Amino acid sequence: MAEAKILTEFYHLPEYQTLAGYKSKGGYETLPKALKMQPQQIIDEVKASGLRGRGGAGFPTGMKWGFLPKNGEPRYLLCNADEGEPGTFKDRMMMERAPHQLIEGMIISGFAVGSNKGYIYVRGEYVYPIEVLNKAIKEAYAAGLLGKNILGSGFDFDLDVYRGAGAYICGEETGMISSLEGLKGQPKLKPPFPAVQGYLRKPTIVNNVETLAAVTYIVKDGAQAYRKFGTEKSAGTKLFSVSGNVMKPGNYEVPLGYPLIDLINKECGGMKPGRKLKAVIPGGSSAPILTAEEVGKANLDYESLAGLGSMLGSGAVIVMDDSQCMVDMLGVLTHFYAHESCGQCTPCREGTGWLDKILHSILEGRGRLQDIDLLIKVADNMKGKTICALSDAAALPVLSFVNKFRDEFEFYVREGRSKVKGTTYAEMHH
Amino acid sequence: MPKCTINGKEVEVKEGTSIIEAMQQSGDRIAHYCWHPGLSVAGVCRLCMVEIEGNPRVQIACNTMVTEGMKINNTSDKVKDAVKWGLDFHLINHPLDCPICDQAGECGLQDQYMEYGKYDPEMAEPKQKKHKVVDLGPTVVLDSERCILCSRCVRFTEEVSKTNELGLFNRGDRTEIGTHDGMPLDNKYSLNTVDICPVGALTSKDFRFRQRVWYLKDAETVCNGCSTGCNVKVYYNREGFFRVKPVYNEQVNGYWMCDEGRDIYKFVNKDVRYVKAQVRTNGGWTEMHAGAAAKAASEVLKASAGDSAALVLTAQYTVEEFEAIVNTFVNEFKSKKVYFWINNKETFDSFDNLLIRGDKNPNTKGLLKVLEKHGISATWADLSAGLSSGAIKTVVVAGPENLAVFPDFAERAKEISKAQNVIWLQAAKHDALAQMNNNAWIIPMKTFVEKDGTFINHAGLEQKFKKATVVVSEALTLTEAALLLSGKNLTIQATPANEFLPLNQRPDQVELEARKKNEFVFKRGSL
Repeated sequence: MAEAKILTEFYHLPEYQTLAGYKSKGGYETLPKALKMQPQQIIDEVKASGLRGRGGAGFPTGMKWGFLPKNGEPRYLLCNADEGEPGTFKDRMMMERAPHQLIEGMIISGFAVGSNKGYIYVRGEYVYPIEVLNKAIKEAYAAGLLGKNILGSGFDFDLDVYRGAGAYICGEETGMISSLEGLKGQPKLKPPFPAVQGYLRKPTIVNNVETLAAVTYIVKDGAQAYRKFGTEKSAGTKLFSVSGNVMKPGNYEVPLGYPLIDLINKECGGMKPGRKLKAVIPGGSSAPILTAEEVGKANLDYESLAGLGSMLGSGAVIVMDDSQCMVDMLGVLTHFYAHESCGQCTPCREGTGWLDKILHSILEGRGRLQDIDLLIKVADNMKGKTICALSDAAALPVLSFVNKFRDEFEFYVREGRSKVKGTTYAEMHH
Repeated sequence: MPKCTINGKEVEVKEGTSIIEAMQQSGDRIAHYCWHPGLSVAGVCRLCMVEIEGNPRVQIACNTMVTEGMKINNTSDKVKDAVKWGLDFHLINHPLDCPICDQAGECGLQDQYMEYGKYDPEMAEPKQKKHKVVDLGPTVVLDSERCILCSRCVRFTEEVSKTNELGLFNRGDRTEIGTHDGMPLDNKYSLNTVDICPVGALTSKDFRFRQRVWYLKDAETVCNGCSTGCNVKVYYNREGFFRVKPVYNEQVNGYWMCDEGRDIYKFVNKDVRYVKAQVRTNGGWTEMHAGAAAKAASEVLKASAGDSAALVLTAQYTVEEFEAIVNTFVNEFKSKKVYFWINNKETFDSFDNLLIRGDKNPNTKGLLKVLEKHGISATWADLSAGLSSGAIKTVVVAGPENLAVFPDFAERAKEISKAQNVIWLQAAKHDALAQMNNNAWIIPMKTFVEKDGTFINHAGLEQKFKKATVVVSEALTLTEAALLLSGKNLTIQATPANEFLPLNQRPDQVELEARKKNEFVFKRGSL
């Protein structure tokens, strides 16, 4: 595998969590350099690096920063650490192992975009990462790295952790902004985009934990150094959180463009003994599933996976072996989305519930053959019809699961039990 | 001024116009629920889908601004299919209870299904059950199952009434609107949420189950509840008046009206009205025809013409009526003893910065204008002194229609009763009048929905309105009363008793006779 430890090189060191430990490995050495640069220079460097948002959408970070108005209006920098997508746990590790790496990235990013106030919005269930972050922020304040006149530069930057109340949709940037504003976590209509009118109706930049942490490296070593990793359109390295039926699930940092099959076989130690690879969801539960055959052709970058009809998403690789029932798997996913739809847009609110009910009719042996086509019709009509992407996130797995494993669905409807496991839903789960 | 093409027609709109507004301007029909021109854009019903040339996906028209050269279409199969599916999503958990739903007949969901839907439903699963008969507050009841979560009501309480009682609770298809803990929907504009609810989810406690809407006729008029003069529509049939809703007028009330104004229909209905004149001349009360009573009273009035005759006016009549009666007093009876009865003195000039004004009269400006024209400046103190001294022998009172906003009614009636003769022109019954023990003529008057006329609101805006129907056939307008009181003869067109006539019926309305076979009325519903 390629040696590409931009983010995770020191994660194994317990002391890296602390300010002293982080500094001992060169931490906060980039900050003084950044504060002497012109903000626009940093933005240009990030643009040149080709860094794309690591939260799932993959939007070019520098370009997003460039959308901010130039009028000097107060603006906010929000770190999206909600990480609610099933299968995703990479940001948790970063916050637990390297909180100062994120904090340094946020100070530099805040300076670049002209923000004096940042929030890290962390999902409520991440109790330990929140403790670690709060401790690190306290250390940074005590060391003059946060607050007024950081390192004598004249730049002020305050940072707080905000603990979410537990909703998947609060990971969507405008849903997160609503939540941070004290409202129900519901996405907002775009336009206006957050860069123009975001938190408290002020210009706001929302970036993922991993994205902000990568900024430090880009400023330290330059865009070209970053571009040495990855592909032309998918530059740099990426953290992948691998779960499922592999020998060594966990977080792995690899350069973008790395073969998916190598991630499974080399990094993760391959499939469990006696089991064959059946399918992989490459980018979190909302990404369309890949068959074993497609996995062999897939590289872990935006364009390769898009070419296969899927997406890199947040980099949550969910691996399934031949013991998995696809009907049951999809039932779990649709139930999740039906539970988490914010209830705002009609196609999503009603569609996710409808999909869930159809799937569970099938799973509980009441399915009709026409329900399989109905799943596709409902999902098709949810796609692209709502304010945010949750509707798509619910629809895409349905479309890909049903299209690629239709025989399992038809078998289940006809026989009232799983083709793979040979059992009914009740037997599978009780 | 960008030009765009909508369904092949070129349309020019103002900068910043959304596609849905442009389509309204061009007369093109477009499905929608959550969009309301008086509220912010929510973009959640996803029905106002359009195709824009160059864009592969259909888009919502409410949050997309028209740009120069934009080519918009909402008649393509792609759009129709998107709307059809949008309706299906709305309907899968919506109860099919139109026969018992209060909104039936004026339901957006029914209308749009008939226009854009008409498909075989594919939902075979059980519907999501939600709360029924939720008491949101003193005026509104919610049926959560019917709610399509358009959020209009929530936005209304956030943006218009600014009372924030309502919110969207829970997630997914378990989402329901409701009130925040300890905060019932209890504001002075709460019933607007019922008006803007496109389905039968929010119902007015006052109106629910009292009439099927297709048995109601409607007529536009001006609210006489206060000096704002909101433009309203009154709904009635032969049983009486049943409700009032606002009519858009940018200059006056926008899209809204207050809850107090909704009650104006109540003092119009026959059960609270004088239907015959009540006359007390020889120690007992007798009933008379209103016109005959006025004619008889004219003899007494003539006898006390000059400074012994006084006129008391409430600002609840039309400019034309004020002109007629004041002119009669000044020119026929040679009296300038004309008094303005001001109610709610303490709050007369207050304003809630939305619509409600402390002056609970629709035509104070109109009255003052007429008084000024005739050089009248008499004060109530003059009247009190004249009554106490016996100098004023006969008083004509044009009493208020809306007694609820005249808290001093009984007190004033008692004071005025000091005169030998009182001719009280009055629409609504009041015990204080029955207690008069002098020579008294109580003559039934028409209300604002029974006559044509003009109100001048607080801002000086003259608003003409037309007669809707007749409730009390014998009742007089103030103009007619003025003529009769001055001894003139007047031919009054008789109207059949117990009949509400559709005088300004819309051309597309079904004739009453064609419908009355099925007409029925419920008693007022209760929770």
